[in-house]
Amino acid sequence: MTSARRGNPVLLGVAGLAGLLVILELVPRLGLVPDRYLPPTSRIAAALADEAGTAAFWRALADTLFAWALGLLIAVAAGVLAGLVIGSVPVLRALTASTVEFLRPIPSVALIPLAVLLYGTRLGSTLLLVCYAAFWQVLVQVLYGVADVDPVADETARSYRFSTWGRVRYVLWPTALPYVFTGVRLAASVALVLAITAELVIGAPGLGKEIATAQNSDAVPTMYALIVVTGALGVLINVLTRTGERHLLAWHQSVRGEVAT
Amino acid sequence: MRRRLIAGLVLALVAGTVAACGSDKDSSGSGSSSGGVDKVKVGVIPIIDVAPIYLGQSKGFFKSRNIELTMEAGQGGAAIVPGVVSGEFQFGFSNVTSLMIAQTKNVPIKAVAAGVASTNVQAKDFGAVVVKGDSPIKSAKDLAGKKVSVNTLKNIGDTVTRESVRKDGGDPSNIQFVEMPFPNMQAALEKGDIDAAWVVEPQLSTIKAAGGREVASTFVDTAPNLTVAAYFTSQKLLTENADLAKRFTEAINESLTYADSHPDEVRQVLATYTKIDEKTRGTVILPKWPIVINKESVQTLADLGTKDGIFASSPDLSKLLP
Repeated sequence: MTSARRGNPVLLGVAGLAGLLVILELVPRLGLVPDRYLPPTSRIAAALADEAGTAAFWRALADTLFAWALGLLIAVAAGVLAGLVIGSVPVLRALTASTVEFLRPIPSVALIPLAVLLYGTRLGSTLLLVCYAAFWQVLVQVLYGVADVDPVADETARSYRFSTWGRVRYVLWPTALPYVFTGVRLAASVALVLAITAELVIGAPGLGKEIATAQNSDAVPTMYALIVVTGALGVLINVLTRTGERHLLAWHQSVRGEVAT
Repeated sequence: MRRRLIAGLVLALVAGTVAACGSDKDSSGSGSSSGGVDKVKVGVIPIIDVAPIYLGQSKGFFKSRNIELTMEAGQGGAAIVPGVVSGEFQFGFSNVTSLMIAQTKNVPIKAVAAGVASTNVQAKDFGAVVVKGDSPIKSAKDLAGKKVSVNTLKNIGDTVTRESVRKDGGDPSNIQFVEMPFPNMQAALEKGDIDAAWVVEPQLSTIKAAGGREVASTFVDTAPNLTVAAYFTSQKLLTENADLAKRFTEAINESLTYADSHPDEVRQVLATYTKIDEKTRGTVILPKWPIVINKESVQTLADLGTKDGIFASSPDLSKLLP
């Protein structure tokens, strides 16, 4: 309603980012931080251009995206399935509630030694960390979603003798779907963070490993250039998941909501 | 329509999961030979020390011995010893103190070739203790009671630093060692968080170029022609595939010899697996790459480490070294 007063959000976002870049250019130039530790934006941009000209950079980018996508896919599939099953069986829910609360806060990085023992520096290490972190985001959202089912709708479906599959399909799933998407959106960001972390710490192939190599080589502008790329990936992933959510949930009041009123 | 799409999406996800779980199993190559060629994975740290193996690979020294080489460059050596023992890597590169720590814990590994050695030239070695240009620390004995950073506590860095202090007539017993990654040391030094830093190349060159001053060539002080690191494998591979181990050792030795006599090519190959800039690549001090492990120098490290309490028991070099 007040988009004129608030201004175009995309334009504002771009302006904010541009402002940040200007500050990052000025801080080292004014000598507030030694440029050896924080090179000005222009130098980082030059390093980024150099990196973009190498095959290794694109291979690393592809490795990171592949690990992210595969990890997210596994976590979402497992989270949705487990969430639907656990959520719709009260006994299972009571049985697992404390276990989920116990496992969920364990930071994925604590699993690094295990990942290294199992997979060394291969993709499996990254996947283990990514899946573990992303799985809980999805599972917990799905559990909330299942709990949110309208009891009247559920009873109605039962009295019309819907099969179990029918109730999942027409009552449970539509209710849980917005929660699933919230879970996927959260999991997508977390998965990227963990993919980069695994590569950075373990040395699994990808952007994180390139960052660590740049750091070990004292190539500070290159290191920042690669960090900028991971930041940009994060923004891109967020935009994509939000757009996907808006399209796939166009029928739902959480998206449709205010337009109708 | 849309619901069907979503149902299909879920099915696709499940199928993807199953496929992913299945495909992850068969990728664990364990020195499998195909057509007489052995696929070999080597766990290395992507630093200057391992330049010979990259150089040897590009020169075909491994290929000519029917070895198809892949380098698994992990960050830090912590993953390399377990990786070799578990068979994830067939060979690994590690500093000799870490290998001796593993030996005293009865980890079944054995060195198969020399890795890297000190240049044996004071003030022109690839590892040293450095201080800020205006530091009151003038020589190694002044490090007594000071805060010195090392990349790993209770490892080769503190052993050789203590020995430099001792040789210079200082008391090494109350040096405070602080653990931090090499790339962080310059900033810590300039901020005054530490009084001195034990670093290796390329950080050594970077810190010196920024006005830092070297106070001790620790590897040179510790023993003549000190062997700093070695290539190693598991006892299991040695018994089951002695021929592969022999061919690997031959190929590594040829690589070490070649690297030692072709420093320009070493500086070039650094560009392929590190991001060290061209200027630094041209000026860093390269280590020596002899093909013989200097047993006396390793024994010195063993004795010093035992005295410092790094090892649970005295390392048995006859079991560790070839």
